[in-house]
Amino acid sequence: MAIATETVGPGRAPLTPATIRNDRRKGDRVFRGFARGTGYATLVLLFLIGLFLFIEGWPAIHVAGWHFFTTSGFQTIGKTKHFGVEASLYGTVVVALVALAVGTPVAIATALFLTEYAPRRLRPFMIAVVDLAAAIPSVIYGLWAIYELQPNVVGISGWMSRHLSWIPIFKVATPQVNASLFIAGLVVGIMIVPIIASVTREVFSLTPPGEKEGALALGATRSAMIRRVVLPFGRGGMISAVMLGMGRALGETIAVVIILSESFFISPHILQSGGTTVAQLIAVHFGQGGRLGTQALLFAGLVLFAVTLAINLAASAIVSRSRSGAGVDL
Amino acid sequence: MTLTATNDRNTVSDVQPTPGTGAAGLVAREVCAWFSGRLVLEGVTLAMPRSTVTALIGPSGCGKSTFLRILNRMHELVPGAQLAGSVELDGTDIYAGRLRATDTRRNIGMVFQKPNPFPAMSIYDNVLSGLKFSRISVSDRDALVEVSLTKAGLWNEVKNRMRELGGALSGGQQQRLCIARALAVEPRVLLMDEPCSALDPTSTARIEQTIADIADEVTVVIVTHNMQQAQRVSDVCAFFLAAENEPGRIIEAGPTDVIFGSPTDERTSDYVHGRFG
Repeated sequence: MAIATETVGPGRAPLTPATIRNDRRKGDRVFRGFARGTGYATLVLLFLIGLFLFIEGWPAIHVAGWHFFTTSGFQTIGKTKHFGVEASLYGTVVVALVALAVGTPVAIATALFLTEYAPRRLRPFMIAVVDLAAAIPSVIYGLWAIYELQPNVVGISGWMSRHLSWIPIFKVATPQVNASLFIAGLVVGIMIVPIIASVTREVFSLTPPGEKEGALALGATRSAMIRRVVLPFGRGGMISAVMLGMGRALGETIAVVIILSESFFISPHILQSGGTTVAQLIAVHFGQGGRLGTQALLFAGLVLFAVTLAINLAASAIVSRSRSGAGVDL
Repeated sequence: MTLTATNDRNTVSDVQPTPGTGAAGLVAREVCAWFSGRLVLEGVTLAMPRSTVTALIGPSGCGKSTFLRILNRMHELVPGAQLAGSVELDGTDIYAGRLRATDTRRNIGMVFQKPNPFPAMSIYDNVLSGLKFSRISVSDRDALVEVSLTKAGLWNEVKNRMRELGGALSGGQQQRLCIARALAVEPRVLLMDEPCSALDPTSTARIEQTIADIADEVTVVIVTHNMQQAQRVSDVCAFFLAAENEPGRIIEAGPTDVIFGSPTDERTSDYVHGRFG
C-alpha cells in the first residue's frame, strides 16, 4: 500500500501521456501527403464552387431580394424585372418525389431479386446489366422517353386523370397530359433505379447468413425471411440509397429539359402538361437574359447545390450512424 | 399452452400434415449427399428413436453436419447441393412432397453452431419469432415465452430484461435463446449442430442440462466433437468417418454405452478413445 501511494499519490506531478515518435519512411510520408492533399483539394473545390456561385450570383439577389424565392419566371431584361425560382424549386421537388415513388419500389425489388432469387449462374451477368443501366447517358434516357415512353404513358396519365381525379394531385385543369412533371418524374425515376438498386443490393448481400438460416430453420418462407431479416437489416442502407437517388433526381437536367414544356405556373396537378425545375431553368435559359440573367441562374444553381448537398450529407450521416443489426457482434 | 392456428392460411391440418404432436422418431434411409457433383455422404441409414438423444460423432469433414441438415431440409438451401434417399418423420417421408419444406422445418427445429439470435429483435420477440414467421397465433404469448425460456434454462437470467435486444446477451445466453426460440414452435425433433463448440464450460453444462430436460418431449439429434459430451447426453450414438478422398459413411451406430464401452469396429474404438481425430 505504502509503495502504491508513493508512486502515484496525490503529491506527485500529474501523469502525462508519453509522446511516441513515429519514424515514418519517406515513401510513406510522400504517399500520405499525396492522399491528404488530394482529399483536401476535393473538399476545397466543393467549397470554392459554392463560393463562386454565391459571389457571382449575389447581384441577382441584390436586385430581387427574398422575392427570388417567391417569384416564378425569368424576366431579367427590360424595365420590369421578374425572376425567381419558386416554381422551379417546386417542380424540382415534384419530379424528385415522383421519381422516388416510382423508382424506389422497383429498385428495392430488383435488389432483392438479385440477392435472393436470381439463379446463381446468371447473377453476375444480371448485376452487370443493372449497373450498366446507370452508365447510360441521360440524354439517351431523355430521347427514349420522348419518343417511346411518353407516347405510351400519356394513355395512363389520361386514365389516371379521369378515374383517380378524386386524388387532388391527379386532377387536371386542361386535357393535355403530355410534357408533364409526372412524365419527367417517371423517366428520372427509371434513371435512378440502378443507383438505388446497386446500393441496396450491396447492403442486402451483407445480411448475416446465420440470421437468414435461423429464420428458415424456424419454418419461415423465403418471403417471411426477407421481410423479417433482410429488410430490417438493410433499413439504413435503403434510406441512404433512396437519398442518393434523390440527390441524383434533384439535379437531373437533360432528360427533364427534353420532356418538360416550360411553364412557371405552380400547379398541384402533376399530370398536367407543363412545369419547370431548377436544373431545367438553368439549362434552357443560360446565355439569355443578359448579365442579370446569368447572375440569377448562378444563384439558382447555388440553391440547387445547397439542397443536393444537404440531402447527400443527410444520407451519409444515416449510413454511418448504423445499419440496423450491423453494430451487434455475433 | 396450445398453439392455435387462427390464420386461415395455416389451418392445423396444414401446419402438421403428420398427425400427432410431441416427440417423433426420425428414420434416415440410404441418404447420400453431393456438393457441386461431389459425393460427400454415402448410404447413411440411421434410426433416431422418439424421445431419445442421438449423438453424431466423428472427425471434421465426415458429413455429420451435412447429414443433420438433410434431416430438416436445410441442405437444399446450399447452392449446388443435392441428395438422395429418404428421411421419415414418424413414417412420413419429408422429401416425398406431401410436406412443405417450411412445415418440415417447423416440425424439425435446428440450433446452429454459432448462436444466431435476431440481434435487432428483443429477447421476447426472438422467442416468438418462429410463430411470427409462420403467422401462427398463440393463446398466451407471455406464458409461451416463459415456458420456452424456462425449458432452455434462460428464464431466470432474462425475466426482467424481456425488452432488451437479443444481441445484447452473452454467447452462452444467446445460444440458449436460440434453443428457446426453436422450442417455442413446439417442434417434434430438435437438431443441434455443435451447439456448445463456441461456449465456455459453464454454458455448455447448462445446455447439456437443457438437452436432458427436453428429451422427453422432443427428440434430439446432436452433432458434437466432444466425446465426453456425447457420452453424457446421448442414448444413441452414430460414428461417422470419411476415408481420404471418399465420402462419409456411418461406421457404427448403437446405444451410447455400447459405442463407448465395447464397439465392434476398431476405428470406432480408436476414435472414442482419442487415438485419432
